Amino acid sequence: MTLDATSLQVVKASDARLKRTDRSRLASFGLHATLIIASFIAVFPVFWVLVTSFKPDARAVETTPKLVNESSLDNYSRILAGDKGGFLTWFGNSVLIALLTTIIAVFLAATTGYAVSRFRFPGKRGLMMSFLVVQMFPFAVLIVPLYNVLLTLGLQGNSFGLVLVYCTTAVPFCTYMLKGYFDTIPMDIDEAGRVDGLSPFGVFWRLVLPLARPGLAVTAFYAFLTAWGEVAFASAFLSAADESKTLAVGLQVFVQQNRTEWGHLAAASILVSIPAVIVFYLVQRFLVTGLASGAVKG
Amino acid sequence: MRRFLDRYWYAYAMVLPVVVVIAVLVLYPLAQGVYFTFTNINEANIANPVLDRPATFDVVGFKNYLNVLSGDQSYGAFWGTLVRTLIWTFSCVFFHYTIGLGLALLLNRQVRGRTLYRVLLILPWAVPGFISAFAWKYMFNAQYGIINQFLRSIGLPDPVWLGQSNWALVAVIIVNVWLGVPFQMVALLGGLQSIPGDLYEAAEVDGATPWQRFVHVTLPGLRSVSSTVILLGIIWTFNMFPVIYLIADKNPNTRILVTYAFERFFSGASRDYAVASTYGVLILSLLLVFASVYRRALRKQGEVW
Amino acid sequence: MAEVSYIKASRVFSGNPPVRAVDELSLDVADGEFLVLVGPSGSGKSTALRMLAGLEDVDEGAINIGGKDVTNVPPKGRDIAMVFQSYALYPHMTVAENMGFALKLRGVNKAEIKEKVAEAAKMLDLTKYLDRKPKALSGGQRQRVAMGRAIVREPSVFLMDEPLSNLDAKLRVETRANIAALQQRLGTTTIYVTHDQVEAMTMGHRVAVLKDGLLQQCDTPRALYDRPANAFVAGFIGSPAMNLKTVPLTSEGAKLDGIVVPLSRSALDAASSEQLAEVTFGIRPEALALVPSGDEGMEMTVELVEELGADALVHGAVKIGDSSERFVVRVDGRTPPSLGQNVKVVVRDATEIHLFHPESGARLEA
Ligand SMILES: Nc1ncnc2c1ncn2[C@@H]1O[C@H](COP(=O)(O)OP(=O)(O)OP(=O)(O)O)[C@@H](O)[C@H]1O
Ligand SMILES: [Mg+2]
Repeated sequence: MTLDATSLQVVKASDARLKRTDRSRLASFGLHATLIIASFIAVFPVFWVLVTSFKPDARAVETTPKLVNESSLDNYSRILAGDKGGFLTWFGNSVLIALLTTIIAVFLAATTGYAVSRFRFPGKRGLMMSFLVVQMFPFAVLIVPLYNVLLTLGLQGNSFGLVLVYCTTAVPFCTYMLKGYFDTIPMDIDEAGRVDGLSPFGVFWRLVLPLARPGLAVTAFYAFLTAWGEVAFASAFLSAADESKTLAVGLQVFVQQNRTEWGHLAAASILVSIPAVIVFYLVQRFLVTGLASGAVKG
Repeated sequence: MRRFLDRYWYAYAMVLPVVVVIAVLVLYPLAQGVYFTFTNINEANIANPVLDRPATFDVVGFKNYLNVLSGDQSYGAFWGTLVRTLIWTFSCVFFHYTIGLGLALLLNRQVRGRTLYRVLLILPWAVPGFISAFAWKYMFNAQYGIINQFLRSIGLPDPVWLGQSNWALVAVIIVNVWLGVPFQMVALLGGLQSIPGDLYEAAEVDGATPWQRFVHVTLPGLRSVSSTVILLGIIWTFNMFPVIYLIADKNPNTRILVTYAFERFFSGASRDYAVASTYGVLILSLLLVFASVYRRALRKQGEVW
Repeated sequence: MAEVSYIKASRVFSGNPPVRAVDELSLDVADGEFLVLVGPSGSGKSTALRMLAGLEDVDEGAINIGGKDVTNVPPKGRDIAMVFQSYALYPHMTVAENMGFALKLRGVNKAEIKEKVAEAAKMLDLTKYLDRKPKALSGGQRQRVAMGRAIVREPSVFLMDEPLSNLDAKLRVETRANIAALQQRLGTTTIYVTHDQVEAMTMGHRVAVLKDGLLQQCDTPRALYDRPANAFVAGFIGSPAMNLKTVPLTSEGAKLDGIVVPLSRSALDAASSEQLAEVTFGIRPEALALVPSGDEGMEMTVELVEELGADALVHGAVKIGDSSERFVVRVDGRTPPSLGQNVKVVVRDATEIHLFHPESGARLEA
């Protein structure tokens, strides 16, 4: 009787194991198929722009699109040579503005996030709530009052004014994210640092920031993207002169004036995307951990 | 007071820069924006320091609110637009979340080439928004767009995507879903990775089926990430203006509250700042009400947030 | 080198009601002394230590280190080093960097830092690991790095908060001895927190027992064992714990299951001056003995025998009044009684009886 039961169990168990590997082979196929399709959809638009960027404008609008159609690097060389507006100047402006935004926003978000994560002080809750509320207001509608403020501060038409505006849009989310990340760093580390002779700022600067690199990377990525691709504020707050435009603004103008030059547009788009994709590639391995701790702890 | 400063001064020193920047660049403009909603301010009567022209607009009380809330066509058909905004917001967030969760679950397994898949899947996030908008606009083109080309080749009807029909709304939703999935996927993937593995093993030992494990271990484990990213997703989507504006322009079929505010703000010579601000204030109020209801609902479920 | 004193120092956490985590603690620690703070979980040991480190505010009273009032001095100005329960090693620094960090902050030159780190590493047998990150170390090695970080600084006071609680039993005993020897050698004033009374008794020159934020007694391990100031200390110090029972008093002594244990005159006087009909009667398991069944003694039914090798602990029930109370007796390990057996228990030595006030718990007799 006992023997029967045990042998039965053994059979059952091996049966189950067999089934499991079987299923997982099928599942693994489905898994890869799904991921490949999803990746394809994610990448295709960019890929398609890349393909188009090599075609002459006339070929870009043929009703039966092909991968290669009189493709060449002509579009790129003409854009880089400045035939289609001061591309390189715009590019420089964008880099400057995006980098400044990134540095300032990350710094502000880090100090604030640290204070909110580590200290209990009156007004902390209110501060966190106000960060959430700031995200709710359609910023576009603030343009006129913002214009007045920047004018008063003497920053209207100035890159730095634009940088500050970008910081206000990026900082609230960045602060949330970094606060979450700082929360995962044990308080003991701070205290050990205090005992070893650091001031509260020293702890922040020499211990917490180096330990929060993944979180900082994600924050930097977010801030960079906020500034890199923004159109509305840039067109409102930079002077209209061509040489002070950012890429996004310049390209927007280009689009409006040259609705048919798809090939050139595509090439310009690719050029604009490259820095963003590089930044993305540098931080992507931190994205998951960095963003998660922020969102988990909220 | 001395003791108060003694104890908190470094905390305040660290938040001070942000508070100043936000106060000057958000709160003050916000207050001014709210004031504008009670005036008839527009491009013609606003103070213009360049032309040395003083402001000549008048305070008109609640007139803007009455006009907007009447749902009048010339004021953006508020109620119809609100409904469209809700459709837009909830369908986008629904797909963001479900697709993001699905992909996160797949990526959370031991898969060969996981890193590559992850990089590719996050890519839409890294591409600047106006470039993506341009790419999709090109692909959605009725004549030479690759999408219709594909639909024709498999024998499906090929609509005029960005024309004066609801297809335009479908198109912008597709684009926004494409744009927004990576963020949700990454956040949820992080959430999944923070669920301790032994919980799954415990559930398996207790005889839970994969589905039961998903419902009783995975979903509760993702609860706090989910509640945060869904709230953020809703707020962001509600106010998502570049995608619609850049792809569909001023198409009334894709008009949501925030794009209409923008339309009023930028369109033509009139540049109706008053109505634009009124829309802004209404959007803020709606989101505030929503967020507090959402919080209360979460709190009822015992979630501290 | 410095002496440390707590002067009616309190830490009150706001809340409803406020928590007095440390309540008017007064304690003087001599220069070079090894003082152990011991107490059950939540008794305020860590809080008291952190107040001394400057990591926790002192809400009332004051704290002096080396005769200087440091109540409002930040940690960096106190010349202390601390070993944390979690070790709190800096994950992004190597062992050598961890150990030398405090010196670096003080602006000590590189060569000197290196020399001091090397010296401490040698003392702690860490030389091999100096270039590793903490992640690549075992628990015991991390513990030693944490010690090393404290030693390198040559502070005037060492603070340690349960530094051994993450080690396995064998390593703990070993490290315990090492820390005590090291302290002896360096002669640095040390405050050591633990909840383990064996650790407290074996390491401390003096032991301070805390409960609910209140200092119960501070004395040498011997004195704590021999003359606990109250029933709490009596029950907390010593393993296995002292048998503490409330028993009725007669004019001769304490009444236990038919027998009357005679008490000293002074004890009876102290009790009668308080007009007590009952007292808390305490006797350590090692002060009880089993006698042949014919002799006079308390009747006890054996319920459990724990064999420890040299000794055995006999747990059993004794009738006191109407209820039956559990007693533990330490007996020779070679001849323990068997389960269910009825044995007779006597008090080996009347001077080992401790009497406490049944309500306040305070020790009776002068
Ligand atoms: N930040 C705080 N806020 C409120 N109460 C606190 C805080 N820190 C500690 N307490 C309370 O103070 C009391 C003493 O805590 P403490 O950490 O000193 O205990 P402990 O003796 O070290 O215990 P353990 O052995 O468990 O470490 C506890 O009741 C605790 O709940
Ligand atoms: Mg403790």
